[in-house]
Amino acid sequence: MITFSDVSLIYPNSTKTVLENLNLTIDEGELVLVIGPTGSGKSSLLRLINGLVPHHTGGILAGNVSVDGISTQLVKPGGLAHLIGIVGQNPANGFVTDTVEEELAFGMETLNIAPDVMRKRVEEILDLLSLAPLRNRSLATLSGGEQQRVAIGSALVMHPKVLVLDEPTSALDPIAAEEVLSILHRLVNDLGLTIVIAEHKLERVSQFADRIVHIDGVGNARVGTPSQIMSDSDIAPPIVHLARALGLADAGLSVRDMRRLSEDIRNATYGPRIVESANGAECVVESKNLSCTYGEKIVLRDINLQFHEGEIIAVMGRNGAGKSTLLRSIVGLNSAEKGSMRVQGHDLAKLNGSARRESVGFIPQEPSDLLYGQSVLMECTQADKDNEVDKGTTFALLNELVPGISAHTHPRDLSEGQRLALALCVVLSAKPRILILDEPTRGLDYQAKNHLVATLLRYASVLKKTVILATHDVELVAELASRVIFLADGDVVADGPTLDVLLSSPAFAPQVAKVMSPQPWLTVQDVVSALEAR
Amino acid sequence: MKRMQHPLTWWIWSIALAFEITRLNNAWISIVVVGVAFLVVRTFREDAPWGKSFESAFKLGLWIIAIRCIFGVLIGTPIPGTTLIKLPILPLPQWMAGIRIGGAVTQERLFSTFHEGVILAAILIIFGAASSLTSPHRLLRVLPFAIYQFGLALVIATSLVPQMVRSISRIKDAQYLRGQKLSLKRTLIPLLEESLARCLDLAAAMDSRGYGSLKTRSRYRPISWNVSDTFIVLTALLSFLNPYALLINCAAPLILIRRKTMVSTS
Repeated sequence: MITFSDVSLIYPNSTKTVLENLNLTIDEGELVLVIGPTGSGKSSLLRLINGLVPHHTGGILAGNVSVDGISTQLVKPGGLAHLIGIVGQNPANGFVTDTVEEELAFGMETLNIAPDVMRKRVEEILDLLSLAPLRNRSLATLSGGEQQRVAIGSALVMHPKVLVLDEPTSALDPIAAEEVLSILHRLVNDLGLTIVIAEHKLERVSQFADRIVHIDGVGNARVGTPSQIMSDSDIAPPIVHLARALGLADAGLSVRDMRRLSEDIRNATYGPRIVESANGAECVVESKNLSCTYGEKIVLRDINLQFHEGEIIAVMGRNGAGKSTLLRSIVGLNSAEKGSMRVQGHDLAKLNGSARRESVGFIPQEPSDLLYGQSVLMECTQADKDNEVDKGTTFALLNELVPGISAHTHPRDLSEGQRLALALCVVLSAKPRILILDEPTRGLDYQAKNHLVATLLRYASVLKKTVILATHDVELVAELASRVIFLADGDVVADGPTLDVLLSSPAFAPQVAKVMSPQPWLTVQDVVSALEAR
Repeated sequence: MKRMQHPLTWWIWSIALAFEITRLNNAWISIVVVGVAFLVVRTFREDAPWGKSFESAFKLGLWIIAIRCIFGVLIGTPIPGTTLIKLPILPLPQWMAGIRIGGAVTQERLFSTFHEGVILAAILIIFGAASSLTSPHRLLRVLPFAIYQFGLALVIATSLVPQMVRSISRIKDAQYLRGQKLSLKRTLIPLLEESLARCLDLAAAMDSRGYGSLKTRSRYRPISWNVSDTFIVLTALLSFLNPYALLINCAAPLILIRRKTMVSTS
């Protein structure tokens, strides 16, 4: 269906080859997963398929990419619209119309498909993706998962033979991600659709893949079945790390296989687990009967919470459950409808300048919102000045966190993980007592995530600061958080140690916990230490 | 579903109004026309991001009047008449003869700048009303293929503006939380970067979905042209012939409003 023959790609003004002599044939009805570190060219590879690279982005392409016998060199992306459906990283950015139904019809309109055919196909897709209740909704009011489904629907409605998706689950909560992936799985099996996906969160997708393409960003690519690639890949989901740690080399990628192989480990008896508690630590954030509204809608309802020094708190819940509102009311951006939010006895809305910087640091969902300098060095110097610390502190911190960033790079040219690290350093050099992060792992690869985990753990335990993060990433929570707060529809439905909260909900359990249930282990490290202690 | 006018109707209507306002050149008439536009927008607009462009245009209009008045009074040729106040005259070098900053502020001078400001603002507000009343995307669908590049730019621009407003507030929040004073540069750079990326994304998405690859396109739900559209457009065209047809042009949508309220109450 898709053939890459001797494909090499290089962008202008870049010394790095993105792909070099890639040969790859993807058959009809195959689901191929593209993995690699951030900035390694996964998106480029996907966009080569319908010719957006190089027609739209520039770049020098050698070799040939052809889809269903049509070479992308000869045809522009528009000419392949009937053959390839493509869903970008942020589906909302690609919406052209106002409502769900119009959006589904847009592509067919441009291809001049007869109105009665269009009506029929739109109905089909509305049913297939369970979008019927949303048909007249404005696109702007949809949740992340719904938007993703509409975007997939508007690609499918053209009856393409190939569907290309760039990080389809990165912005979704685990349940919405599950929905989207099961739809894709069904499409492959029922309709013989060929699907190519790029994704960082391998724990979500790797079990669906027929083959994996691993690219390293300097031109090399490895193609193989998931077990071949996962046998020695540095990018691997927790379940693979678990298998490696337990010496189960050919364990496969599914929870079911792993459970079968690890039965004796699960069934052995272990000593009681040691529970550390934050008792006695000073309370830094306290909310009393906090309620917030957005327009008519109640977003938070009578929240009573206390956060202590040295805690790492993960705020979880579905899209729209009130996570961001809770964070925003801690930092004083959301005024409370009722009740109060106090940070070390202050209302943060009234704090400014250095007093604010020292009490709370905030990393927004888009870390680049904080950055405006022309180079990494400028950004760091500005932060030193703002935070009233010695010259060079921020840059030294950055070097410690992610070594090897050139001081003269423009922040925009950094990879996603590096940019987050820079924003983090800018905030951390003021040593705020409370650090708040909103969805920090969106678009981060495993390596960047490990750096983040290490930094935050050190910040919380060594410097005795509080870290609060909102996230959908259960694996991150398992590695990092000491306490989880679970929000649903504006209420706190669970609040307790990470272990208890994550284990009590199957949808939000990390992979290791799924494999090892009922043993109370969340991470590979937990399993290894428990085995050693036995 | 709510019955809507054809997207071109309100644009033709507002172009006619703007044309008449410039031709009649009367501030009082302009204010009345803005009032009519307000009524029309209140009745016919949808609850959508572009629905708020009337308010934005109105605020911008007020700014224009204020700025024009300030500059008109401070700088420019004096008009003789009743002096209201006397400002000190700023001494200027020889080569700038003919320009005067400060000096006597006459009632006539104030009135004439105010008058010009009102007309300028009214034209702006009228177009704000038109964009409030029509979905830019629906407008795009009725545009002929020949101006497809224009359509592409239009879609990008119109989906970008509400997005930019949201981005600005997000970036402002982030910078405020970094404990920094707001500055234009600190907001503008991340904003421009993001907007540019967003434009490219949208253009790529439209391209990959075949926009502009065929000369003809079909319509999923054809946009109908009905009697009320003909009515409004005809009255609008009349006013190109005679400036006083402005009256009819303003009255036409009011008749529609009346009919609409009667339907909804009965």
